[in-house]
Amino acid sequence: MIKADNITKVFGKNEVLKGISTTVGKGEVVTIIGPSGSGKSTFLRCLNLLEEPTSGQIYINDEEITSPRVNKMEIRKNIGMVFQHFHLFPHMTALENVMYAPQKVKGLSKKEAEQIGKNLLARVGMTDKEKAYPNRLSGGQKQRVAIARALAMEPEIMLFDEPTSALDPEMVKEVLDVMKGLTETGMTMVIVTHEMNFAKEVADKVLFLDDGVLLEETEPNTFFTNPSTERAQSFLEKVL
Amino acid sequence: MNLDFSQIVPYIPFILEGIGATLKFVSVSILAGFILGTILAIFKITGFWPLKAIADVYTSIFRGTPLILQLMIIYLAIPQLTGYDISAFLSAVLAFGLNSAAYVSEIIRAGIMAVDKGQTEAAKALGVPYRSMMLNIILPQAFKNILPALMNEFITLTKESALVSTIGYLDLMRRAQIAGADLYRNFEPLFFAGVIYWVMVTILTLAGRYVERRMRQSD
Repeated sequence: MIKADNITKVFGKNEVLKGISTTVGKGEVVTIIGPSGSGKSTFLRCLNLLEEPTSGQIYINDEEITSPRVNKMEIRKNIGMVFQHFHLFPHMTALENVMYAPQKVKGLSKKEAEQIGKNLLARVGMTDKEKAYPNRLSGGQKQRVAIARALAMEPEIMLFDEPTSALDPEMVKEVLDVMKGLTETGMTMVIVTHEMNFAKEVADKVLFLDDGVLLEETEPNTFFTNPSTERAQSFLEKVL
Repeated sequence: MNLDFSQIVPYIPFILEGIGATLKFVSVSILAGFILGTILAIFKITGFWPLKAIADVYTSIFRGTPLILQLMIIYLAIPQLTGYDISAFLSAVLAFGLNSAAYVSEIIRAGIMAVDKGQTEAAKALGVPYRSMMLNIILPQAFKNILPALMNEFITLTKESALVSTIGYLDLMRRAQIAGADLYRNFEPLFFAGVIYWVMVTILTLAGRYVERRMRQSD
Protein backbone atom coordinates (compact mmCIF):
# COMPACT_ATOMS: atom_id res chain seq x y z
CA MET A 1 0.00 0.00 0.00
CA ILE A 2 2.86 2.42 0.84
CA LYS A 3 6.20 1.87 -0.79
CA ALA A 4 9.18 4.17 -0.23
CA ASP A 5 12.12 3.71 -2.52
CA ASN A 6 15.50 5.18 -1.62
CA ILE A 7 14.14 8.41 -0.10
CA THR A 8 16.65 11.16 0.62
CA LYS A 9 16.02 14.60 2.04
CA VAL A 10 18.58 17.38 2.21
CA PHE A 11 18.03 20.66 4.07
CA GLY A 12 20.78 23.00 2.92
CA LYS A 13 23.96 21.05 3.68
CA ASN A 14 22.24 18.77 6.13
CA GLU A 15 21.36 15.33 4.79
CA VAL A 16 18.48 14.29 7.02
CA LEU A 17 17.41 11.14 5.17
CA LYS A 18 20.05 9.04 3.49
CA GLY A 19 18.17 6.66 1.27
CA ILE A 20 15.26 5.02 3.08
CA SER A 21 13.34 2.16 1.51
CA THR A 22 10.47 0.33 3.13
CA THR A 23 6.93 -0.87 2.57
CA VAL A 24 3.80 -0.73 4.63
CA GLY A 25 1.04 -3.20 3.78
CA LYS A 26 -2.67 -2.55 3.90
CA GLY A 27 -3.93 -2.61 7.49
CA GLU A 28 -0.40 -2.76 8.84
CA VAL A 29 0.67 -0.75 11.89
CA VAL A 30 4.25 0.43 11.67
CA THR A 31 6.04 2.39 14.37
CA ILE A 32 9.14 4.44 13.70
CA ILE A 33 11.60 4.70 16.57
CA GLY A 34 14.94 6.41 16.92
CA PRO A 35 16.86 9.16 18.68
CA SER A 36 16.00 12.86 18.20
CA GLY A 37 17.25 14.19 14.92
CA SER A 38 17.34 10.75 13.33
CA GLY A 39 14.92 11.82 10.58
CA LYS A 40 11.81 9.96 11.82
CA SER A 41 9.47 12.91 11.53
CA THR A 42 10.95 14.07 8.25
CA PHE A 43 10.40 10.63 6.76
CA LEU A 44 6.81 10.57 8.01
CA ARG A 45 6.20 14.04 6.57
CA CYS A 46 7.49 12.87 3.20
CA LEU A 47 4.69 10.31 3.09
CA ASN A 48 2.01 13.00 2.67
CA LEU A 49 4.36 15.40 0.89
CA LEU A 50 4.48 18.00 3.66
CA GLU A 51 8.17 17.57 2.89
CA GLU A 52 9.21 16.82 -0.64
CA PRO A 53 11.88 14.17 -0.85
CA THR A 54 15.09 15.39 -2.48
CA SER A 55 15.26 12.12 -4.37
CA GLY A 56 13.56 8.74 -4.40
CA GLN A 57 10.01 7.65 -5.06
CA ILE A 58 6.99 7.06 -2.87
CA TYR A 59 4.10 4.95 -4.11
CA ILE A 60 0.68 4.77 -2.54
CA ASN A 61 -1.58 2.07 -3.94
CA ASP A 62 0.91 1.79 -6.83
CA GLU A 63 0.55 5.47 -7.73
CA GLU A 64 3.78 7.43 -7.61
CA ILE A 65 2.97 10.45 -5.43
CA THR A 66 6.44 11.94 -5.82
CA SER A 67 5.81 12.45 -9.52
CA PRO A 68 5.61 16.17 -10.40
CA ARG A 69 2.33 15.58 -12.25
CA VAL A 70 0.54 14.48 -9.13
CA ASN A 71 -1.99 16.75 -7.41
CA LYS A 72 -0.81 16.87 -3.79
CA MET A 73 -4.21 17.92 -2.51
CA GLU A 74 -5.78 14.77 -3.96
CA ILE A 75 -3.14 12.55 -2.37
CA ARG A 76 -3.53 14.17 1.03
CA LYS A 77 -7.29 13.61 1.13
CA ASN A 78 -6.54 9.93 1.51
CA ILE A 79 -3.90 10.32 4.24
CA GLY A 80 -4.78 11.64 7.67
CA MET A 81 -2.13 13.21 9.85
CA VAL A 82 -1.91 13.82 13.58
CA PHE A 83 0.71 16.26 14.84
CA GLN A 84 2.71 16.48 18.04
CA HIS A 85 1.27 19.93 18.77
CA PHE A 86 -2.29 19.13 17.60
CA HIS A 87 -2.69 22.20 15.38
CA LEU A 88 -6.43 22.39 15.96
CA PHE A 89 -8.05 25.45 14.40
CA PRO A 90 -8.34 27.72 17.46
CA HIS A 91 -11.26 29.79 16.17
CA MET A 92 -13.48 26.74 15.68
CA THR A 93 -15.18 24.52 18.25
CA ALA A 94 -14.23 20.86 18.55
CA LEU A 95 -17.15 19.87 16.34
CA GLU A 96 -16.41 22.59 13.76
CA ASN A 97 -12.80 21.41 13.60
CA VAL A 98 -13.96 17.94 12.65
CA MET A 99 -16.67 19.18 10.27
CA TYR A 100 -14.49 21.63 8.34
CA ALA A 101 -12.62 19.38 5.91
CA PRO A 102 -15.56 17.14 4.93
CA GLN A 103 -17.48 20.28 4.00
CA LYS A 104 -14.73 22.26 2.28
CA VAL A 105 -12.78 19.44 0.70
CA LYS A 106 -15.39 16.78 0.04
CA GLY A 107 -18.27 19.20 -0.46
CA LEU A 108 -20.57 17.44 2.00
CA SER A 109 -23.57 19.33 3.33
CA LYS A 110 -23.43 20.81 6.79
CA LYS A 111 -25.87 18.18 8.00
CA GLU A 112 -23.82 15.27 6.66
CA ALA A 113 -20.61 16.74 8.06
CA GLU A 114 -22.25 17.24 11.41
CA GLN A 115 -23.33 13.61 11.49
CA ILE A 116 -19.78 12.46 10.73
CA GLY A 117 -18.38 14.92 13.27
CA LYS A 118 -20.67 13.80 16.06
CA ASN A 119 -20.01 10.12 15.39
CA LEU A 120 -16.26 10.62 15.42
CA LEU A 121 -16.25 12.77 18.54
CA ALA A 122 -18.28 10.04 20.23
CA ARG A 123 -15.73 7.49 19.08
CA VAL A 124 -12.87 9.42 20.70
CA GLY A 125 -14.96 10.07 23.83
CA MET A 126 -15.38 13.82 23.29
CA THR A 127 -19.14 14.14 22.88
CA ASP A 128 -19.53 16.38 25.92
CA LYS A 129 -16.94 18.83 24.54
CA GLU A 130 -18.42 19.29 21.07
CA LYS A 131 -19.01 23.00 21.56
CA ALA A 132 -15.75 23.72 23.39
CA TYR A 133 -13.02 25.78 21.74
CA PRO A 134 -9.57 24.16 21.70
CA ASN A 135 -8.14 26.42 24.40
CA ARG A 136 -10.72 25.01 26.82
CA LEU A 137 -9.45 21.47 26.23
CA SER A 138 -6.60 19.59 27.87
CA GLY A 139 -3.75 18.32 25.73
CA GLY A 140 -5.15 14.81 25.65
CA GLN A 141 -8.57 16.09 24.66
CA LYS A 142 -7.08 18.27 21.93
CA GLN A 143 -5.23 15.32 20.50
CA ARG A 144 -8.34 13.16 20.51
CA VAL A 145 -10.22 15.89 18.61
CA ALA A 146 -7.27 16.12 16.20
CA ILE A 147 -7.52 12.37 15.57
CA ALA A 148 -11.25 12.72 14.92
CA ARG A 149 -10.55 15.62 12.55
CA ALA A 150 -8.13 13.51 10.53
CA LEU A 151 -10.52 10.54 10.47
CA ALA A 152 -13.35 12.74 9.19
CA MET A 153 -11.84 12.61 5.70
CA GLU A 154 -12.14 8.81 5.87
CA PRO A 155 -8.51 8.30 4.90
CA GLU A 156 -7.03 4.92 4.12
CA ILE A 157 -3.81 5.78 5.90
CA MET A 158 -3.16 7.60 9.18
CA LEU A 159 0.20 9.18 10.04
CA PHE A 160 1.04 10.05 13.64
CA ASP A 161 3.95 12.38 14.36
CA GLU A 162 4.85 11.88 18.04
CA PRO A 163 1.20 12.22 19.06
CA THR A 164 1.86 11.94 22.80
CA SER A 165 5.18 13.77 23.12
CA ALA A 166 3.62 17.13 24.03
CA LEU A 167 1.21 15.68 26.59
CA ASP A 168 1.31 15.63 30.35
CA PRO A 169 2.04 12.08 31.48
CA GLU A 170 -1.45 11.42 32.83
CA MET A 171 -2.97 12.20 29.43
CA VAL A 172 -0.86 9.87 27.36
CA LYS A 173 -3.03 6.84 28.00
CA GLU A 174 -6.30 8.33 26.76
CA VAL A 175 -4.68 9.14 23.42
CA LEU A 176 -2.94 5.80 23.10
CA ASP A 177 -6.24 4.06 23.89
CA VAL A 178 -7.92 5.86 21.01
CA MET A 179 -5.06 4.87 18.72
CA LYS A 180 -5.20 1.30 19.92
CA GLY A 181 -8.90 1.25 19.10
CA LEU A 182 -8.03 2.48 15.63
CA THR A 183 -5.54 -0.34 15.03
CA GLU A 184 -8.37 -2.80 15.60
CA THR A 185 -10.38 -1.31 12.74
CA GLY A 186 -7.77 -2.38 10.20
CA MET A 187 -6.52 1.16 9.54
CA THR A 188 -3.08 1.41 7.95
CA MET A 189 -1.02 3.41 10.42
CA VAL A 190 2.50 4.81 10.54
CA ILE A 191 3.42 6.12 13.97
CA VAL A 192 6.51 8.01 15.06
CA THR A 193 6.67 7.54 18.80
CA HIS A 194 8.79 7.41 21.92
CA GLU A 195 6.25 5.18 23.68
CA MET A 196 8.16 1.91 23.59
CA ASN A 197 5.54 -0.17 25.37
CA PHE A 198 2.88 1.05 23.00
CA ALA A 199 5.10 0.29 20.02
CA LYS A 200 5.73 -3.20 21.33
CA GLU A 201 2.06 -3.81 21.91
CA VAL A 202 0.42 -2.54 18.72
CA ALA A 203 3.05 -2.58 16.01
CA ASP A 204 3.24 -5.18 13.28
CA LYS A 205 6.63 -3.83 12.40
CA VAL A 206 9.21 -1.51 13.96
CA LEU A 207 11.50 0.75 11.96
CA PHE A 208 14.60 1.98 13.76
CA LEU A 209 16.15 5.10 12.27
CA ASP A 210 19.46 6.63 13.22
CA ASP A 211 21.12 9.59 11.52
CA GLY A 212 18.92 9.32 8.46
CA VAL A 213 19.52 5.62 7.93
CA LEU A 214 17.03 2.81 8.40
CA LEU A 215 19.02 0.45 10.61
CA GLU A 216 16.39 -2.11 11.56
CA GLU A 217 13.09 -3.22 10.17
CA THR A 218 11.68 -6.08 12.18
CA GLU A 219 8.68 -7.28 14.11
CA PRO A 220 8.53 -5.75 17.60
CA ASN A 221 9.41 -8.82 19.69
CA THR A 222 12.68 -9.34 17.91
CA PHE A 223 13.48 -5.65 17.96
CA PHE A 224 12.87 -5.13 21.66
CA THR A 225 14.46 -8.36 22.88
CA ASN A 226 17.17 -8.97 20.37
CA PRO A 227 18.04 -5.98 18.17
CA SER A 228 20.62 -6.82 15.56
CA THR A 229 22.56 -3.54 15.51
CA GLU A 230 24.70 -2.17 18.30
CA ARG A 231 23.17 1.27 17.81
CA ALA A 232 19.68 -0.07 18.48
CA GLN A 233 20.95 -1.99 21.50
CA SER A 234 22.47 1.10 23.10
CA PHE A 235 19.37 3.15 22.25
CA LEU A 236 17.08 0.60 23.88
CA GLU A 237 19.29 0.37 26.96
CA LYS A 238 18.83 4.08 27.47
CA VAL A 239 15.09 4.29 26.92
CA LEU A 240 13.76 1.05 28.41
CA MET B 1 -7.26 85.27 31.15
CA ASN B 2 -9.16 86.33 28.13
CA LEU B 3 -11.58 83.50 27.43
CA ASP B 4 -15.08 83.77 26.10
CA PHE B 5 -16.66 80.61 24.77
CA SER B 6 -19.99 82.34 24.20
CA GLN B 7 -18.53 84.04 21.13
CA ILE B 8 -18.16 80.79 19.21
CA VAL B 9 -21.80 79.85 19.70
CA PRO B 10 -22.89 81.27 16.32
CA TYR B 11 -20.11 79.24 14.68
CA ILE B 12 -20.97 75.93 16.32
CA PRO B 13 -23.27 74.67 13.51
CA PHE B 14 -20.61 75.65 10.96
CA ILE B 15 -17.87 73.76 12.83
CA LEU B 16 -20.09 70.75 13.52
CA GLU B 17 -20.74 70.36 9.80
CA GLY B 18 -17.02 69.63 9.58
CA ILE B 19 -17.60 66.35 11.46
CA GLY B 20 -19.57 65.02 8.51
CA ALA B 21 -16.97 66.28 6.04
CA THR B 22 -14.14 64.68 8.00
CA LEU B 23 -15.96 61.38 8.62
CA LYS B 24 -16.94 61.13 4.95
CA PHE B 25 -13.44 61.15 3.56
CA VAL B 26 -11.88 59.33 6.52
CA SER B 27 -14.27 56.38 6.20
CA VAL B 28 -13.78 56.15 2.44
CA SER B 29 -10.01 56.36 2.92
CA ILE B 30 -9.98 53.67 5.61
CA LEU B 31 -12.03 51.34 3.44
CA ALA B 32 -9.87 51.97 0.35
CA GLY B 33 -6.68 51.59 2.38
CA PHE B 34 -7.88 48.37 3.95
CA ILE B 35 -8.88 46.70 0.67
CA LEU B 36 -5.74 47.81 -1.18
CA GLY B 37 -3.63 46.94 1.88
CA THR B 38 -5.02 43.38 2.03
CA ILE B 39 -4.25 42.89 -1.66
CA LEU B 40 -0.70 44.24 -1.20
CA ALA B 41 -0.20 41.97 1.84
CA ILE B 42 -1.13 38.91 -0.23
CA PHE B 43 1.26 40.11 -2.95
CA LYS B 44 4.00 40.25 -0.31
CA ILE B 45 3.58 36.68 0.88
CA THR B 46 3.24 35.04 -2.54
CA GLY B 47 6.31 33.32 -3.84
CA PHE B 48 5.90 35.22 -7.15
CA TRP B 49 8.63 37.87 -7.04
CA PRO B 50 7.25 40.52 -9.45
CA LEU B 51 4.14 40.91 -7.28
CA LYS B 52 6.24 41.04 -4.15
CA ALA B 53 8.52 43.65 -5.75
CA ILE B 54 5.58 45.86 -6.74
CA ALA B 55 4.15 45.70 -3.22
CA ASP B 56 7.53 46.36 -1.59
CA VAL B 57 8.34 49.37 -3.77
CA TYR B 58 4.86 50.75 -3.22
CA THR B 59 5.20 50.45 0.55
CA SER B 60 8.66 51.95 0.51
CA ILE B 61 7.52 55.04 -1.40
CA PHE B 62 4.38 55.75 0.59
CA ARG B 63 6.02 55.16 3.95
CA GLY B 64 9.21 56.94 2.98
CA THR B 65 7.74 60.33 2.09
CA PRO B 66 5.61 62.79 4.11
CA LEU B 67 1.86 62.40 3.82
CA ILE B 68 1.43 66.12 3.33
CA LEU B 69 3.78 65.96 0.35
CA GLN B 70 1.74 63.13 -1.18
CA LEU B 71 -1.40 65.18 -0.62
CA MET B 72 0.12 68.26 -2.26
CA ILE B 73 1.39 66.29 -5.23
CA ILE B 74 -2.04 64.81 -5.84
CA TYR B 75 -3.93 68.06 -5.33
CA LEU B 76 -1.55 70.53 -6.98
CA ALA B 77 0.51 68.49 -9.41
CA ILE B 78 -2.19 66.36 -11.04
CA PRO B 79 -3.89 69.42 -12.60
CA GLN B 80 -0.50 70.60 -13.83
CA LEU B 81 0.41 67.23 -15.35
CA THR B 82 -2.95 66.13 -16.72
CA GLY B 83 -5.09 69.22 -16.86
CA TYR B 84 -7.71 67.41 -14.77
CA ASP B 85 -9.02 69.72 -12.08
CA ILE B 86 -9.06 67.30 -9.19
CA SER B 87 -11.38 68.09 -6.28
CA ALA B 88 -10.13 68.49 -2.73
CA PHE B 89 -12.27 65.53 -1.65
CA LEU B 90 -10.90 63.15 -4.26
CA SER B 91 -7.34 64.29 -3.55
CA ALA B 92 -7.84 63.66 0.13
CA VAL B 93 -9.31 60.20 -0.39
CA LEU B 94 -6.54 59.26 -2.82
CA ALA B 95 -3.70 60.51 -0.63
CA PHE B 96 -5.00 59.03 2.61
CA GLY B 97 -6.23 55.79 1.04
CA LEU B 98 -3.01 55.09 -0.84
CA ASN B 99 -0.88 56.08 2.14
CA SER B 100 -2.88 53.99 4.59
CA ALA B 101 -2.72 50.96 2.29
CA ALA B 102 1.07 50.92 2.69
CA TYR B 103 0.85 50.75 6.48
CA VAL B 104 -2.11 48.36 6.50
CA SER B 105 -0.33 45.96 4.14
CA GLU B 106 2.61 45.73 6.54
CA ILE B 107 0.29 45.11 9.49
CA ILE B 108 -1.62 42.37 7.67
CA ARG B 109 1.55 40.76 6.32
CA ALA B 110 2.95 40.57 9.84
CA GLY B 111 -0.36 39.16 11.05
CA ILE B 112 -0.35 36.40 8.45
CA MET B 113 3.28 35.53 9.19
CA ALA B 114 2.49 35.33 12.91
CA VAL B 115 -0.12 32.61 12.46
CA ASP B 116 1.42 29.32 13.58
CA LYS B 117 2.92 27.41 10.67
CA GLY B 118 1.20 24.31 12.05
CA GLN B 119 -2.15 25.77 10.97
CA THR B 120 -1.04 25.75 7.34
CA GLU B 121 0.29 22.22 7.71
CA ALA B 122 -2.89 20.95 9.34
CA ALA B 123 -4.97 22.47 6.54
CA LYS B 124 -2.67 21.06 3.86
CA ALA B 125 -2.68 17.63 5.46
CA LEU B 126 -6.47 17.63 5.23
CA GLY B 127 -6.31 18.50 1.53
CA VAL B 128 -7.79 22.00 1.98
CA PRO B 129 -7.21 24.19 -1.12
CA TYR B 130 -5.09 27.37 -0.76
CA ARG B 131 -8.00 29.79 -1.15
CA SER B 132 -10.17 28.14 1.50
CA MET B 133 -7.17 27.81 3.78
CA MET B 134 -6.44 31.54 3.53
CA LEU B 135 -10.07 32.61 3.86
CA ASN B 136 -11.25 30.23 6.59
CA ILE B 137 -8.14 29.35 8.56
CA ILE B 138 -5.30 31.87 8.22
CA LEU B 139 -6.93 35.30 7.70
CA PRO B 140 -9.45 35.01 10.57
CA GLN B 141 -6.60 34.25 12.95
CA ALA B 142 -4.39 36.96 11.45
CA PHE B 143 -7.10 39.63 11.73
CA LYS B 144 -7.75 38.74 15.31
CA ASN B 145 -4.09 39.21 16.17
CA ILE B 146 -3.69 42.50 14.33
CA LEU B 147 -6.94 44.15 15.35
CA PRO B 148 -5.25 46.46 17.90
CA ALA B 149 -2.64 47.52 15.33
CA LEU B 150 -5.32 48.11 12.69
CA MET B 151 -7.39 50.20 15.10
CA ASN B 152 -4.28 52.21 15.83
CA GLU B 153 -3.81 52.86 12.12
CA PHE B 154 -7.44 53.97 11.75
CA ILE B 155 -7.09 56.30 14.73
CA THR B 156 -3.90 57.81 13.32
CA LEU B 157 -5.63 58.33 10.01
CA THR B 158 -8.58 60.05 11.69
CA LYS B 159 -6.28 62.49 13.47
CA GLU B 160 -3.96 63.08 10.52
CA SER B 161 -7.02 63.86 8.44
CA ALA B 162 -6.68 67.43 9.73
CA LEU B 163 -3.91 67.82 7.15
CA VAL B 164 -6.53 68.24 4.43
CA SER B 165 -7.25 71.69 5.85
CA THR B 166 -4.10 72.72 3.95
CA ILE B 167 -5.75 72.10 0.58
CA GLY B 168 -8.88 74.00 1.49
CA TYR B 169 -11.12 71.00 2.17
CA LEU B 170 -13.73 72.20 4.64
CA ASP B 171 -13.14 69.61 7.33
CA LEU B 172 -13.38 70.07 11.06
CA MET B 173 -9.93 71.63 11.37
CA ARG B 174 -10.38 74.06 8.50
CA ARG B 175 -13.72 75.22 9.86
CA ALA B 176 -12.23 75.86 13.29
CA GLN B 177 -9.52 77.95 11.67
CA ILE B 178 -12.05 79.96 9.68
CA ALA B 179 -14.10 80.62 12.80
CA GLY B 180 -10.94 81.68 14.59
CA ALA B 181 -10.00 84.10 11.83
CA ASP B 182 -13.47 85.64 11.81
CA LEU B 183 -13.52 86.11 15.57
CA TYR B 184 -9.91 87.10 16.09
CA ARG B 185 -9.92 84.48 18.83
CA ASN B 186 -8.32 81.16 18.10
CA PHE B 187 -8.29 79.26 21.35
CA GLU B 188 -12.01 78.66 21.68
CA PRO B 189 -12.74 77.23 18.20
CA LEU B 190 -9.52 75.17 18.20
CA PHE B 191 -10.30 73.83 21.65
CA PHE B 192 -13.81 72.98 20.50
CA ALA B 193 -12.47 71.13 17.45
CA GLY B 194 -9.97 69.34 19.67
CA VAL B 195 -12.75 68.04 21.89
CA ILE B 196 -14.62 66.74 18.85
CA TYR B 197 -11.53 64.93 17.52
CA TRP B 198 -11.01 63.41 20.95
CA VAL B 199 -14.61 62.20 21.09
CA MET B 200 -14.37 60.66 17.60
CA VAL B 201 -11.13 58.85 18.44
CA THR B 202 -12.56 57.63 21.75
CA ILE B 203 -15.63 56.23 20.01
CA LEU B 204 -13.35 54.47 17.52
CA THR B 205 -11.25 53.07 20.35
CA LEU B 206 -14.30 51.76 22.20
CA ALA B 207 -15.69 50.22 19.02
CA GLY B 208 -12.33 48.50 18.49
CA ARG B 209 -12.35 47.09 22.01
CA TYR B 210 -15.87 45.82 21.52
CA VAL B 211 -14.95 43.97 18.32
CA GLU B 212 -11.83 42.62 20.01
CA ARG B 213 -13.89 41.26 22.91
CA ARG B 214 -16.30 39.62 20.50
CA MET B 215 -13.44 37.95 18.65
CA ARG B 216 -11.81 36.75 21.85
CA GLN B 217 -14.74 34.51 22.66
CA SER B 218 -12.74 31.55 21.46
CA ASP B 219 -9.93 32.32 23.93
